[in-house]
Amino acid sequence: MPQNEGLTRRTVIGAGAAALASVAASDLFHLSSALADTGPTPGVGYFARFGVTDKLLRDTLGAAMSKGGDYADVFFQHRVTNNLSLEDGSVNRASANVGLGVGVRVVRGDQTGYGFTEDITADGLKRAALTAAAIAQGPAKAAPTRFKVMDAKPNRYPVKVKWDDVRPQQKLAMLNSLNERTFKADGRVKKVNINFMDQGSVILIADSNGRIVEDVQPMTTLNLSAVAEQDGRRENNNINRAARADFSFYTPARLDHMVKDVVQKTVVLFDAVQPPAGEMPVVMAAGAAGILLHEAIGHGMEADFNRKNVSIFSDKIGKQVAKPFVSIVDEGTQEGARGAINVDDEGNAVGRTMLVENGTLTSYLHDSISAKHYGVKPTGNGRRQGYEHAPLPRMRSTYMLPGPHKADEIVASVKKGVFCELFSNGQVNIGAGDFTFYVKNGYLIEDGKLTKPIKDVNIIGNGPNVLSLIDMVGDDLKIDEGGWTCGKDGQFVPVSQGLPTVRVSAITVGGRAEKKG
Amino acid sequence: MAKTNEQDMLAIASSCIELAKAAGAKDAGARAYRVRDVSLDYRDGSVEKISEATTRGVNLQLYVDGRFSTASTSDLRPEALKTFIGDSVAMAKAIPVDPFRALPDPALYKGQASTDLQLEDPKYSAVTADEGKRIAKAIHDAARTVKGAEALTSVTASFSSNLVENWMVTSNGFSGSNRGTSFFVSAGASAKDADGRRPEEYDYAGSRFYGALTDASAVGTRAAQKTLARLGSKKGQTNAMNVVIDNRAVGRLVGMLLNPMTASALQQKRSFFEGKLGQQIVSPLMSITDDPLVPKGFGSRKFDNEGIAAKPRAIVENGVLKSYFVDTYYGRKLKMEPTSGGPSNLAWKLGSKSRAELLTDTKDGLLITSFIGGNSNGGTGDFSIGVVGFLVRNGAIAEPVAEMNLSGNHLEFWKKLVAVGNDPNPYSSMRTPSLMFENVSVAGV
Repeated sequence: MPQNEGLTRRTVIGAGAAALASVAASDLFHLSSALADTGPTPGVGYFARFGVTDKLLRDTLGAAMSKGGDYADVFFQHRVTNNLSLEDGSVNRASANVGLGVGVRVVRGDQTGYGFTEDITADGLKRAALTAAAIAQGPAKAAPTRFKVMDAKPNRYPVKVKWDDVRPQQKLAMLNSLNERTFKADGRVKKVNINFMDQGSVILIADSNGRIVEDVQPMTTLNLSAVAEQDGRRENNNINRAARADFSFYTPARLDHMVKDVVQKTVVLFDAVQPPAGEMPVVMAAGAAGILLHEAIGHGMEADFNRKNVSIFSDKIGKQVAKPFVSIVDEGTQEGARGAINVDDEGNAVGRTMLVENGTLTSYLHDSISAKHYGVKPTGNGRRQGYEHAPLPRMRSTYMLPGPHKADEIVASVKKGVFCELFSNGQVNIGAGDFTFYVKNGYLIEDGKLTKPIKDVNIIGNGPNVLSLIDMVGDDLKIDEGGWTCGKDGQFVPVSQGLPTVRVSAITVGGRAEKKG
Repeated sequence: MAKTNEQDMLAIASSCIELAKAAGAKDAGARAYRVRDVSLDYRDGSVEKISEATTRGVNLQLYVDGRFSTASTSDLRPEALKTFIGDSVAMAKAIPVDPFRALPDPALYKGQASTDLQLEDPKYSAVTADEGKRIAKAIHDAARTVKGAEALTSVTASFSSNLVENWMVTSNGFSGSNRGTSFFVSAGASAKDADGRRPEEYDYAGSRFYGALTDASAVGTRAAQKTLARLGSKKGQTNAMNVVIDNRAVGRLVGMLLNPMTASALQQKRSFFEGKLGQQIVSPLMSITDDPLVPKGFGSRKFDNEGIAAKPRAIVENGVLKSYFVDTYYGRKLKMEPTSGGPSNLAWKLGSKSRAELLTDTKDGLLITSFIGGNSNGGTGDFSIGVVGFLVRNGAIAEPVAEMNLSGNHLEFWKKLVAVGNDPNPYSSMRTPSLMFENVSVAGV
């Protein structure tokens, strides 16, 4: 078998080990020194190496406020991403990406001016700041004279072994083993593709109110996909895991589960059918089915859409939108979760926000601009893809609290419908409220039992309508570990989602329709 | 925009090759880029957001003792670059030898077209953020003055422009650069429906030359009219029906059809087009050429991202699959000649009828104006995708429908194509005309 040859070949690549010491030892990305607040400037630890000083920050914010904005902030980022990919039995590509830059934002009322640069010099920053400043047209306002470091910043992604100190051989061994085990698990598997990513991003936010904070944000994702063949037919599927964590995230149990899962969810497709088309009851399996919340309510509750009056939820705060046993949360506090953050990208504290509490619509997801607009505290949802972008209200980890029902009784309650368990993507139209999610795996439910597997079907509904039709909620909440990425206004941020087993009494399943009438 | 510093960026690309070789790479390719972006949103009477920046960086391909790595960075400080390239070469040494990794055959670099593709507006620098504000306000105001505009709850008009510059060098003899500008204007509007929904629609236009956007305010008018037309939308009946897909929307579906035509999909057994070269794969009405040399085209180029000289090439001819998108790496794995790894501009064999005439021919069915969500399985051809549009009754646009879904398998679906419109979308490199299908599966109530 090719994968075995590959394995042998790889074990003799010892020469790499010495070379790799240089990777680990380079000054590329030293997490160890990242948060040592011992530099010459309070709050500037990691970024001191790039020449960032108290004076540079004050001068930049001074230029930003030179036309009288209400508020300004600077966002420095140094982001190092490493990828390894495996195909045809062998790791065939290593890649590294470094992003280093700074964005300057000036806010005046609801208006934003934004500039950024990769040129981290006094001149480069001044140019970006003056670009952003142009949103305002008044007399200059004072920059802060001193900065106060955010206190009691939590540590939601503790890292024992820095990614720097993980030798590539360790990563290669994991990928090779996954490849070999996936082939071994089922003779029908013909192709295995693996992509592994680790990332360290260090950010520094300083603002015109004199706040300053640095944060080191690790991330890792592992994607395992397989193609299987049977009787001349092919099927494929894909499983991934993600976390703000170190290499210890990849426990033998987690990897074993991924292998079993990708093989089972691929070969089951040989028996899968297209579900019928039309409205029917749908049961969402605990876990990744949280995509329902992300699309049906999460985006519509982002406060920028509401202050602009363009969300279907714009006039629904305080109203009953779901059954009393439905409570929906967005939070950034789960340790190691892909959607966890210690601080948002505006430097605000991050906690837990109730979108729906006992069926009543409770709170939007705010950034600083919308919080000021509504006269509430920011909820810590101001996030951005990177220094190239101004922050927007974004989700973190969105899930539903457990309810009163049992998963078994929920499935048993459905006479004819579908059960959805693996998903690839979704989308929503914020104003009309229509949303979709794409189901990779599931089952027909017939007379209260899971029967034939189903595949590749889009489900489409309307947010408030579907919320009101959630009529059973299980007690089995599960937060998914998948590598979910949320896109909005051309910016992509990592998020988490979760759900207990849930029944929606009627929603349109986009299966195959037969000609009628 | 400050004067471009051609020499600097070309020098950076060349120095990356030298650094890579010094660090132990046998071969290398480097692309240095600089992108100037300006964008502005104007909402409900005032500027919402202005963003303006110039970003730059370098992307590298490193071939080290038969091993391969890629590296990209925006940290161009000389010392940082040297360390980074050294580390990236070291990283390549850690992975196995891959006999298929190589730079393109230099013969493929030769034969670049000598025509002027007209991709850069010489007046780019004169189109400032202030001009962007002026045109966005005009678009916004046009939307606010259509008949029934009082029902609009919000209108956002946007302007964006960019200048993209690339400098590419490889260690086996390629050296080239390209520059291009683009300008886009758009408008999005929302209206409040009787039942509390706030349907939204948008419209846009774009060109590589600012002066060509002569009718920008019409974008605002159309966005407002399209939004108001969506009031009162309902979910239609589940059925198999005749469908016209608007030229702006259908690119999504065409993209799903083209993705499995790449050599990587074929080699990785993730393509329903494997073994289909020379066979009838879609309706004979479909003929598509990949044409990288369209003057002013959004996808136009004289060489692709590997440096391979770009040439027009038939993809589908009268429904028969004529060629795949083959890059160097997967071409070597499959023993196929490289063509180019991905599409540039698509040139369609157009039909004679407008969208309105296609609707007349449809009689009863559905007009799809946009897609929402959905996906396509490139391995099997199954797809399922949410649709927004209008019922068609007696050949005319009737009531708006939403929350519906189109499903099928590409190998069957595209054989149901019964007419190609005469209206290629000028604002997209895919240049899709409106397409008409019969008897396809749509889910609703």
